[in-house]
Amino acid sequence: MFAVSSCVLVALLAGTAPQRGEPATKDPAIEEFNKQVKKYMDLHNKVEHSVPPIDKKRESDPARIVNHQKALSAAIGAARPEAARGDIFRPDVQPVFLKIIKKQLSSGKGPTARAMILGDGNPKSPESPAKVDLSVNAEYPAKAPLSTVPPSVLLSLPRLPDGLEYRFVGRHLILYDASANLIVDVLPNAIR
Amino acid sequence: MRKFNIGLCIVIIFAALLSQAQQVHLPLSKDSLRFAIIGDNGTGDKPEYDVAQKLAAAYAKWPFEFVVMMGDNLYGGESPKDFQNKFEKPYQALLSSGVKFYATLGNHDDPARQVPYKLFNMGGKHYYTFKPKEGVRFFSLDSNYMDKTQLDWFEKELKASGSEWKIVFFHHPVYSSGMRHGSNIELRSVLEPLLLKHGVDVVLSGHEHFYERIKPQKNIHYFIVGSSGQLRRGNIGKSELTEKGFDADNVFMLAVIEGDAMSFQVISRAGTTVDSGMIRRGGKTTSATQ
Repeated sequence: MFAVSSCVLVALLAGTAPQRGEPATKDPAIEEFNKQVKKYMDLHNKVEHSVPPIDKKRESDPARIVNHQKALSAAIGAARPEAARGDIFRPDVQPVFLKIIKKQLSSGKGPTARAMILGDGNPKSPESPAKVDLSVNAEYPAKAPLSTVPPSVLLSLPRLPDGLEYRFVGRHLILYDASANLIVDVLPNAIR
Repeated sequence: MRKFNIGLCIVIIFAALLSQAQQVHLPLSKDSLRFAIIGDNGTGDKPEYDVAQKLAAAYAKWPFEFVVMMGDNLYGGESPKDFQNKFEKPYQALLSSGVKFYATLGNHDDPARQVPYKLFNMGGKHYYTFKPKEGVRFFSLDSNYMDKTQLDWFEKELKASGSEWKIVFFHHPVYSSGMRHGSNIELRSVLEPLLLKHGVDVVLSGHEHFYERIKPQKNIHYFIVGSSGQLRRGNIGKSELTEKGFDADNVFMLAVIEGDAMSFQVISRAGTTVDSGMIRRGGKTTSATQ
């Protein structure tokens, strides 16, 4: 009787755990990922002080916003010239991400989530095609839209600090620095 | 020649009738909160300018305080020139009259360029809230990127709001009869529980390039206003969701809140009223006048 109750309890807990949470942060691969993300953001924050500032809440001149973004992007690129694919999405973290994404896209809401990612907004979709250079430190093209990332996927991946986002270009997952408009890292073929 | 004159007279009379058709028949009382809604507008093309002109004409007769934008505020490039051609120029008359615009982010918008932009009044945030009048609060969400941080913020703000009217706006509709996109069930699964729990009254969205008023869902009123620049003709599919739909021309929407009632009117690029009505807070009634 006790064994049955325990099983039910375990099953219930297992069923509720992934609802809103992040993946197991105790996973060493995820811990390392978070460490690399923090390292990047520290560099971003340091570099940002070196470029002409804008009023981040009420900038009236779009030209100043664009110039700030370009200057920040160039400065970050210069500060990490050796950066390469896999620096943050390290080989040991890649399977963890692939598993999470696969799980979400095969769930009941999977088809909607997949359509959200690959549909209008994704630069590889027929509705909004645009060329994106998937190199680390490349600027995200101003004319290319940003993919929508479904909540089910976002709520399952490790949480990112303000300013850093997960986006998709075609089936590839990118780590995107929103204020610098910069591709920080790429996880190729994240959707299979 | 005589035939030509008769033809000209018919054209003039028709034009006069069309301009008459743009009568705003919403209440204009002193203590009301009046605002406009546009969506998927930032093309920089003629339909956007035409709708903007009609919106300015409506403002002249029926002044409103602000405009909420449902996203896709700037399509294509987002250079300084694009900000001018796709936003500042078309809405110049309203901007120079002191009308504020509050933007939400669509899937074609670059957050880094739009979020700090003063005239979009986002306060440097992807998602934000504002209270234009005692008892009324608006919440703008970034539906492109609904992560845990945003959901936690939204719930906290809803809880703290205490406002009688809670109006939420974001780009992707969670209920829609659109044949291109349809209801975003993913988003609905995370947002609807919060909307219901905290008594949200009205949800405004865009993304679908048409106008649709959804039958109240669990006492929440949903509107899609996604054709103030773009238009996807004939894209509203047959669905049980539709209370009123219009996909034959571009539109904008006007709304006024007085006490427990919100009256609305949707006007097309041609100046025709395509929908109007009144909703009661709490989702009790929806009485369309047309």
